[in-house]
Amino acid sequence: MKKVVVRTCKWIGLPGATIIISCIALAWLIGCATNKQSGEVAAGTTGKSGAQLWAENCVRCHNIRSPGSYSGMQWEVGLMHMRVRANLTPEEHKKILEFLKSGT
Amino acid sequence: MKRAPPIIMNQTIAGAFVALIWLFIPSAAIAQDVASSPPPSNYVSREEYDKLKTEHEAMKTEHEAMKQELDALKATVQQMTAGAAQPPAPGKTISEGKQVVTAPPEAATEELRQEVESLKTKVKETYPGTTKFLLAGYGTAGFTARSGEDPFFDAAFNALFLWKLTDRLFFEGELELEFEDNETTINLEVAQASYLLNDYMTIGVGRFLNPTNFFVERQHMNWVNKLPDKPLAVYDGLLPESEMGGQLRGVIPIGPTKLEYAAFVANAPGLITESEDFSEIGMLDFDNDANFGGHVAVGGHVGFIPIPQIEVGYGIQRSKVGPRDQAVEAVLQSADFNFVTDSAFLKGLINARAQWVWSHVGHFVYDPNGEQGFGPLEFNNNRNGGYAQLSYRPTHIDNDYIKNFEGVLRYDRFNQLHTPVGFDEQRWTIGLNYWVTPSAVLKLAYEFDDKNGGARNQDAFLMQAAVGF
Repeated sequence: MKKVVVRTCKWIGLPGATIIISCIALAWLIGCATNKQSGEVAAGTTGKSGAQLWAENCVRCHNIRSPGSYSGMQWEVGLMHMRVRANLTPEEHKKILEFLKSGT
Repeated sequence: MKRAPPIIMNQTIAGAFVALIWLFIPSAAIAQDVASSPPPSNYVSREEYDKLKTEHEAMKTEHEAMKQELDALKATVQQMTAGAAQPPAPGKTISEGKQVVTAPPEAATEELRQEVESLKTKVKETYPGTTKFLLAGYGTAGFTARSGEDPFFDAAFNALFLWKLTDRLFFEGELELEFEDNETTINLEVAQASYLLNDYMTIGVGRFLNPTNFFVERQHMNWVNKLPDKPLAVYDGLLPESEMGGQLRGVIPIGPTKLEYAAFVANAPGLITESEDFSEIGMLDFDNDANFGGHVAVGGHVGFIPIPQIEVGYGIQRSKVGPRDQAVEAVLQSADFNFVTDSAFLKGLINARAQWVWSHVGHFVYDPNGEQGFGPLEFNNNRNGGYAQLSYRPTHIDNDYIKNFEGVLRYDRFNQLHTPVGFDEQRWTIGLNYWVTPSAVLKLAYEFDDKNGGARNQDAFLMQAAVGF
């Protein structure tokens, strides 16, 4: 096992290996520990409203669009895209989507 | 004799009065008993009575409505029966242009049944289904006048196809259609299937935007990018825009902060060892879809969001490049910083971004036999560059026009003097934007260009209209 790790590190380089292995391990451990479904609220909730999370997260990259600019179903797809692209947490995803759907 | 009747009447009235008193007293006593005693279980109060009355009235109204509906139905059935029984005039048409067909009552019933089935099918076709789709993207029209070059207009259209197949499975595809220099080009920017493994891990395979490059992932879209052109080195420079392979990414909330991560394995870039343009020698070819050389690139990005307004990140990609028997190492790195805040004090939205990238290609001998006329030439190809940008939009000003203007200032630089390119370049760009809607913008900018190494400075005037949808 140790040889495999050493060989892998040698192959991909130490900086890359450090980042990749540590990220995977950390994410996997936390993921397994909580083992929550996507729709549920994760541990360490911020307590912020959907409107607040919408304003904070979206504006970090672009102007915020009004909830009425898409239908509820369209927001569902768009938010899933943003969850992957902009790294939204499950809680942020759920609350922002609820807020946007409520305004459509 | 004449007075006798009144006496008799008076006696009669008095008797009746007494009888009434006798009748009244027990009734009053009973009423008092009832009033003072607790109500029995079958007693109906005034409120209950009113409620029952209201319900009764409502039922009556409903009954009347049902009766009317039933009458209307009866009339319809009678008309249908009569219509089916009577032979219509040949060729007689109804308002929608349909001909009335002679048919017995059984046939009419069958026709009605078929029509109902047809309507059912049509209604079912409108059901949304489990796959959800969204067409998004952006369009651009621009004008560039750069000193030493002919001015030109250009246009581009990026279509983003998004499918949510299940709550965990997602697909995105992006096509870029660009018209420039009398040619239309089509590029597949993104074609990625993503699967949410758990709340903190998403796996993606296909062609995806380079996770190490923050500008490419989050800022390069023309309706998002604040200026008509893109910064040196960061875009179409030292880092690939997209990768072909697989990635694992996600976000980990740590209290009020967030840690983002992405790790990927992809085709390695190619090494340009032969080219008609000498300045390209030693550069990396990021369109190495055939994976010439057979190398694999490994990389990742880590981002940290300590407060919602700030995001900092670092990304790295490492691979071997070049012919298999002479492969050298290539390391690409990127550091990014982003600060966005809505300031009440400054009455507007402040947007500050910076990114710097480094590219290292190991020692390689180019044109070893001198066949290309410049070799043998051996060198490490080390280049770097990046940008810093500040923008301000007075969103808190109470004027519908002024609040939509946005000023932008950007400094970008590309250091490649000690490479076959042979010069460094730096630019200062000032821009003024007008936001028509949150995703539609008109941009004007002027670029001050400064190159060393004897290269010509090329100031530029730029215009662009961009619409995101």
